[in-house]
Amino acid sequence: MHMKSLATMAATLLLSAAPLAATAEELIVYHGWSSKAEVAALNILQGALNEKGHTWKDLAIPHNSGVNVSIVNMVTGGDPPNAFVTSDPHIFRDLAGLGLQRDLTDYYKEIGAADGFFPIVSELSTVDGKMVKVPLFLHIDGMVYWNMDVAKKAGVDPTAWKSVDEMIADFPKIKAAGFVPAAVGGQAFQVGYLFHAMVAAIAGPDIYNRIYSETPDPTAFDTPEVRKAIEVVRAFSNEATPEAENRPWNETTNTVIAGQALFHIMGDWMKGEWLAAGKVPGVDFGCQVIPGALAVPVTSDAMGILGGQSAEKDKAELDLVAAFVDPIVSAKANQQKGSTSPRADAPTEFRDACNQVAMDAMNKPNGAVKNPFNVITGDWNNGIWTAMYNFWSDKSLTTDDAVAELKDAYDLTFN
Amino acid sequence: MSMVMQSGEALVDSAPRFPRKRKGISGRSIAILVFLSICAAFFMVPLYVIITTSFKTMEQIREGAIFSLPSPITIEPWINAWDNACSGIRCEGLKVGFWNSVAILLPSLALSMILSSVTGYALALWNVRWAGTFLFVLFICAFVPFQIIMIPLIILSSGLKVYGTIWGIAIIHAVLSMPFLTLVFRNYYKGIPQEIMSAAMMDSGSFWRIFGEIIVPMSGNIFIVVLILQVTSIWNDFLLGLTFGGLGTQPMSVVLANVVITTTGEAAYNENMAAALLTAIPPLVIYFVLGKFFVQGITAGAIKG
Repeated sequence: MHMKSLATMAATLLLSAAPLAATAEELIVYHGWSSKAEVAALNILQGALNEKGHTWKDLAIPHNSGVNVSIVNMVTGGDPPNAFVTSDPHIFRDLAGLGLQRDLTDYYKEIGAADGFFPIVSELSTVDGKMVKVPLFLHIDGMVYWNMDVAKKAGVDPTAWKSVDEMIADFPKIKAAGFVPAAVGGQAFQVGYLFHAMVAAIAGPDIYNRIYSETPDPTAFDTPEVRKAIEVVRAFSNEATPEAENRPWNETTNTVIAGQALFHIMGDWMKGEWLAAGKVPGVDFGCQVIPGALAVPVTSDAMGILGGQSAEKDKAELDLVAAFVDPIVSAKANQQKGSTSPRADAPTEFRDACNQVAMDAMNKPNGAVKNPFNVITGDWNNGIWTAMYNFWSDKSLTTDDAVAELKDAYDLTFN
Repeated sequence: MSMVMQSGEALVDSAPRFPRKRKGISGRSIAILVFLSICAAFFMVPLYVIITTSFKTMEQIREGAIFSLPSPITIEPWINAWDNACSGIRCEGLKVGFWNSVAILLPSLALSMILSSVTGYALALWNVRWAGTFLFVLFICAFVPFQIIMIPLIILSSGLKVYGTIWGIAIIHAVLSMPFLTLVFRNYYKGIPQEIMSAAMMDSGSFWRIFGEIIVPMSGNIFIVVLILQVTSIWNDFLLGLTFGGLGTQPMSVVLANVVITTTGEAAYNENMAAALLTAIPPLVIYFVLGKFFVQGITAGAIKG
């Protein structure tokens, strides 16, 4: 009798406690961001999550530190993150295999976000027909950032360039004024990024998607447009000064900030370096997509959320998604990080001159393509990078050699 | 032939002398000095860059002259690195990782030293059945890379309910270092004369009493050696701390990686260099303080041999 009443009491207590627990959950957020601008953006996101009544438990492990398997480790150890930053479709497929994938397609419709994203963002967030990613920050892989002071001294106007050829035609003039025209860093990653940005800009989305595809078409390398992109890479490699060898992108950008070089073509994350140096977009530095670009490659830093959790956690995870893709939260966070909001309908007061350039590019019909890491395997990516980096480093190689090496890389990866 | 002999003999006109080491500069000593300087430069040049960069302002670093001396000198990067550099959303600097590392180091050190010294003692001085086989298995284990047993270890530690805790990391450190350390202890104890053991046993010493009262007091040197090895490897470890540390127990090396590694964020090189130096200091201190014993400890076994 006594025992029974105790049990009843316990059950009542449990039942009454359950709805309370559902309101406040602690969510583990796994990411790799620790620089000042990134942390400022994370603080905005954390604030938005707190407003939904949940708390943020932080787990930071740096990107590319050789521990990309951590998500799977943590799932195995029984201490999995609720939200994790990754854009790699293969991780989402691994999780689907474990029954832990979370499809957000319907939820985005329910909260009215589905139509708010740029079309390229919806594409980037979809794996095997399901929207599984939470898009946070957008970057364009190949933007031209130039030092306005240097442009004035050299007497060139980067906004007047209508094509890459016109840009290259101005190189002698800039050199005559005593500046390096194009700052470049001789690393496989930077050469690879320059190449895919040039393919998108010069060859356009159709040819780009034939190369950067899960099932690539090697005949695309024979097109005159791709050959042209390879020639542009050669023109840039000819600008490489000895100290450009193996120079990281941020140091390369700093040669432009310091006024030694006119411009740098890199992802628009280089804005962070400019802002850290106290420079103002549109005043100290200008930004433009690659002149005459047919398309721009877009990187979407995104999160996934873990399925198969308790009902309370599941609900809280959806609250997190709603908080992070909210147009105002997204606009504010992106302003801090120096990137562009994935919401086309984000309020305008949180963007700068360079965001406007990026948004215009993404609003152009058929004018945006997916960053290779969102699509292709690491092997195919490495194949392209190695081929192009060899071409970059060895000036005796011709465009024909580069095409042949790219095809060899294809054969090695897929046959 | 005989001419040569004669002329050779003619030179010896006084009592034979042993060749003495000549003072002063010879071609050989110059060659050695140059070689040693080059060796030292391999380490000193990067160290010079790290130290000078850590005292520079970012404005000066942007100018790109990496060998220039800092002007003006600033200690702000050091303060930032220790106190408010960001590792994820927490911007409390490396000090968080420092205390986590200390918290990981102490139990890991204690566990691994106790476990391997007792095992080494048993294998060396007692008649343990299958001792040879056990030693051989341990020897094989010393060559198994951690990476291939990582996932099974995660599952094991998760089953023991220690995954993601400091004790989890400590146990894994102890287990993974056991094969090598046991061999070190066992070889050292093999040098202890069997007569000491026989005498101790005659005085009715038990396994633990002999260990505690006779063996441990005799093994100061080897404990110092193992201490230095373990402090260095545990302090510098990245993967174990990362994999088993989980939330809130990330060691200094992982926090350092968070502070330093950035892909699309801006890089503050002065802070990064200061952070790297701060992380490297503790094992260096241990080495400088105990370095003398380290050499003694290594040679002690050899002399007894």
